This record gives sequence, structure tokens and C-alpha cells, in this order.
Amino acid sequence: MMMRNILVLACNDLAIAFRNKTFFLILFIPLFVFVSLDLVDGTRSEAGRVRIGLVQGHAYPPGITGNVNAADKLVEVTWVQNEAEGVRLLKEHKIDGILTGKEKAPGSLALLVLKKDSLRTIAIVQDFSALQKAAEGSRPDWITNIRSLHQSGVQRETLPTWILMLVLLIGFIILPAQVAEEKEKKLLIALLQTPIHEAQWLIAKLILGMVLIVTAVLFLHLLGGFGPVHLPGYIAFIVAGSFCFSAYGIFLGFLCRNQASARTLGVIFYLPHLLPSAMSDVSQKLTSIAPLLPSYQLYEPLQSILLEDGRLADMTFDWVYLLLLGSVMFFLSYLLMKRRWLM
Amino acid sequence: MQLDIRNLAKLYDQKRGLAPTSFEVSKGELIAVVGHNGAGKSTLLKMLANWIVPDGGSATIDGIDLKNRIAVVRKVGFIPEEPNLFDFFSVEYNLKLFAALTQTPMLRVEEILGEFALLPFRKSRVQSLSKGLKQRVNIGRALLADPPVLLLDEPTSGLDFEMTREIYRLLGTMHGAGKTILFTSHRPEEIKSLATRIMVLHQGSLIFDGYPDEYFQSDIHQKLYA
Repeated sequence: MMMRNILVLACNDLAIAFRNKTFFLILFIPLFVFVSLDLVDGTRSEAGRVRIGLVQGHAYPPGITGNVNAADKLVEVTWVQNEAEGVRLLKEHKIDGILTGKEKAPGSLALLVLKKDSLRTIAIVQDFSALQKAAEGSRPDWITNIRSLHQSGVQRETLPTWILMLVLLIGFIILPAQVAEEKEKKLLIALLQTPIHEAQWLIAKLILGMVLIVTAVLFLHLLGGFGPVHLPGYIAFIVAGSFCFSAYGIFLGFLCRNQASARTLGVIFYLPHLLPSAMSDVSQKLTSIAPLLPSYQLYEPLQSILLEDGRLADMTFDWVYLLLLGSVMFFLSYLLMKRRWLM
Repeated sequence: MQLDIRNLAKLYDQKRGLAPTSFEVSKGELIAVVGHNGAGKSTLLKMLANWIVPDGGSATIDGIDLKNRIAVVRKVGFIPEEPNLFDFFSVEYNLKLFAALTQTPMLRVEEILGEFALLPFRKSRVQSLSKGLKQRVNIGRALLADPPVLLLDEPTSGLDFEMTREIYRLLGTMHGAGKTILFTSHRPEEIKSLATRIMVLHQGSLIFDGYPDEYFQSDIHQKLYA
């Protein structure tokens, strides 16, 4: 009877999710992500020729113009009247960079780009370094090759971030609002007028959250054509993460009297959980702060599994942490439900 | 006794709620709980329906302690003032959902749809119905599992004269079928000929409990509703 009640309640929750368009939302977000990622220059080869601006009248080192013009498969040259015109073209994205001479160091070059740490800038530096070696025959650099553990392109490298975003969106925004709506409209209390156990209602809500998360993640994989990873570990973390953050979201829903306050509280929890974890790769300070957040216990293993050949056995702590935190949240929700908290 | 209430109390603050209250209800009684807004009528019914947790006291329904919610809800049907239905779904969906959760045969849904003249609206979304129709669905839902005790909180609130008469007719029918009924009202004149017993709550305290004739002849009615 217990399983039957859970099934009925879970089907009802899924029907509500269809009716209030939640399902469309969780399918639209992966679709949007996929389309955006498809437009990103994923690899060096996709970046194409670099478009460089040379300023007329500048004293470039001898031979450079000739070599650059000769390498027309790598570099497309645009001559500009002066630096100001070059800056304008740069801002209009008509060129990728401007080569200027350095006044204090005659014979050397300065490169002006829009963004220093972009794929295009790396491409320009790589191409000009190759050209210089070919022209001057100088001895090789100390570092002759850079290899990356993440060899999968921007699309796949950002996958853990998108998955975390979806998990937190469903956990902190969608679920609390749905729980609060059922409280606000006295639907939960109506369900408790039937011989269902409080835990059955909670489990049904957990199933809803986990189904939404798994559907969104699967859809993201299908759209992006992201290949197989270490499946058992990956599934274990998606299940543990969806359990943890669904339980967390249900708990937040119980802290609120109505949908409006649930949405506000959801956003208050959503961003501090998302940003430090998702941006931990680009900041040493965030790398030290992020592990304090439960979201990092999902993000880091996902990144490891998807990009660094990580195995579940090496991440047991994170997995157990997620399950424990989810269980604590489930229990707290149960207590609040028993107390008819803000119902 | 079907209901045995002992010092049941719930205080929201110093002025609102219900002071410790005791009374008994026999099977088949139709009791009107009257009083002004904030008298504690709804609080009393909501505690008996397990909507809110009492601060103190105890209650049994057919000998089952109120704290045993899963057993008690099989004995009690509660109809709140505002219909609490899944209003983006149809009337039939709502009834079938609650039938499934109360382990009621689906045939009973058809009976309820027929008894409450809801057959033409079975596929209509609840949100498209009038308040009177929603209240009929609400009462029908409470009766799905055929509980012996019915609690109705202001069942005619916001309804027009015709719908109010219809609801009182339904109450009479259910009483005739042997149900024990407690319902609240703040318009005692309306239930003069309906109730078999009247309980008056005033500022959270039970100040009268007796037959309707006694009540309408008493000073209490004059003081409260003059």
C-alpha cells in the first residue's frame, strides 16, 4: 500500500509539473545551453584564420610583413590607417588583434586584443610564434608542447557547470515553489486528510525532483552528443546530487508560507551555491571557499568523472556527504510537516 | 460517545484560538458550532481534522486518539471554508486522485458525481467552476470514503441564497443517512430548523451547549446577535 500511495502521489506531482509547464522549462534550458554551446568555438581548428590588423607607417621588424603575408592560410592581414581605426575594427569584431611596434623597445611587437585570456588570443600568439621560428630558425622554446587533462573542448568542459546549474535550479527554485504552492493552497493538508503517511508525500516529492533532474541531464547529453563516461560513478553522483538537492529544496519549501517567499528564498540559496563552485576553476580564493558548499561536492566529482577520468572509488567522501546531507534535509522536512509548519 | 473531547486547546496568542474545551458528541448528531469571527470555531474543527496540532488536551473519535492521524482520517471527512482542490485539474481527476489515496473503489467516484449532480462537470477544470459547484466537489470528495463523521467549516460562506439552501439540504440528507455532523456558522438564524444541537463559542470559550430551542430563548443569543 505504501508503494501504491507513493506512486499515486508521484504521478500527481508529475502531472502538476506538466500542467504548470515545469517540464517544458527543464527541457528548454538544456536546449538553450546546447544551442549556445554549439555557437562556441570549441577547438583551435574551429577558430579558423586569425585576422590581424597592421598599422600603416609603423616600423615593424624587418621581414615580418613579408612572412605574415606569405602565411595567408594562417593569418588574414588588414591594413589600418592608424591605431584608432584598428581599435574601432577590433571593437566591431572585424579583426582579432592589432600588431603595433613598441616605442621603448624598437624591433619588438605589442599585441592589442579585446580579451587577454581568450581562445583567439592564444591562437594569435601560437601562430606568430610559429611564424617567427620558421622565419628566424631560432632554437626551440623550453616548453615546446602544452597538453591538457581536459581535452574535450569547451562544450564538454562546461558540462559540469550546466549540470550543476540544472540541479540547483530544480532543487532551489522549482521544488520549493511547488511545495509552498501546495501549502498555500491547502492542497498538502487536503492530501493529509487521506491515510497517507507524511514520508510517502515526501518521497513522492523527492521522486519528482529526481525525475526532473535526470530528464534534464539526459536531454543535455542527448542534444550535445556527449559520449559515455564512467557510467556507474556518473549515475551514482547524479542520483546522490538529485536526492540531496531535491531534499534540500523540499526543506526550503517548508520554511515558506507561500510561493513568492519560496522563490525569494530559492534565489538566495541558488546563487551562493552555484557561483563559487562553478567559478572555482578561475579563482584560487573561490577554490578554497567552494569546498565548504554542498554544491561543490557534486560539481567537483562531476568534473572529475566527465573531464579527468575520475572514478567513484576516489570520491566516496563526496558521495556519502551528498547522501547524508539529503537525508538530514529529508528528516527536517518530515519534522516540519509533522508540526504542520506554516500550513 | 462518538467524539470525546477533553480540554482541547490551541492558542495563537493571548486573544486568538481556543481555550481548553471539553464536550462529547453522540452518533448521528447534527451540531452547529456558532460564534463570531475569531471565536475559535474553525480552530476547533481544524484540530479535530488534524489540520492543526493542539497545544493541549485530547480527543478521541470512535475511540481512536486524535494523534493517530492515519486511523482518524478514515473516520472524519473535513470540508474547509475555501475549497482546496487541485483546481487546474478536472473534477473527475480530483475525485479519482483522492479515491486512489483512500483506497476507495472507482465506482464510488461515479456515485458521488451522480449524487452531487456533477456529471455534466466531470471533465471541467475545477478553476472554471462557481464557488457553489466547487463546494459540492469538496463535499463529494470528503464523502468518497464514506466517513461516519463530517466536519464542515462555514460551508455556506460566500454562497448565494439558492446555493446556501442546497448545501443545507445536502447536510440534512447526510444527517438522514446517519452521519454525525459538526458545522460552523456565524449566522445562527439560518440553521435554526436544521441543527439538533448548538454550541456557541465566544472569544475562544464554549459559552453554550444545548438544544436549538434553548439557545434561541437564551440571553446569549440576544447578547451576541442582537
